[in-house]
Amino acid sequence: MQLAIIVGHATATVKHPSMTGWKLLIAQPLTMDEKPDGEPQLVIDNLGAGLDARVLICNDGAGTRKLMDSKNSPVRWFVMGICDDR
Amino acid sequence: MRIAEVIGTVTLSRCHPMLAGYRWIIGVPYSLKALKTKTAPDGEDFVILDELGAGNGHQIGVSEGGEAVMPFYPERKPLDAYCACILDAIEVK
Repeated sequence: MQLAIIVGHATATVKHPSMTGWKLLIAQPLTMDEKPDGEPQLVIDNLGAGLDARVLICNDGAGTRKLMDSKNSPVRWFVMGICDDR
Repeated sequence: MRIAEVIGTVTLSRCHPMLAGYRWIIGVPYSLKALKTKTAPDGEDFVILDELGAGNGHQIGVSEGGEAVMPFYPERKPLDAYCACILDAIEVK
């Protein structure tokens, strides 16, 4: 799991069937001192994380597949929590 | 799943039998700065297996690592980058 900040969102019509109906956000993973860490990731979200929200993203593929109720989804990252502001 | 821009395709003359007959594209991933300033992507390009028909200049979501093989479940393939979606629009603050 990693801390991240939501920097935007994306829409895709042509995609893997398991991704239909899922919100696609662009999250920038952060290091603990709030500096960008690596490239932005497309994450799926069902918690309603808004723009500039600090979230906890998780890259457990098995957890994502359970969340999406699909055995063959290529999605890996998903929003698992929205951090309360300090 | 990183965001990448398609810059070309690759055709294989000889490959692992499990990878025969697929379409291969070359993608360059976006960094945060490239996304925010809407400039060309500046990551390191890599080859991606594509089943959705992404053309040059399209922005795609690339699934990497173990999840890239999941669409072929239960079959296992020697593969680590799969084009999971073709992005229509990207909004970055």
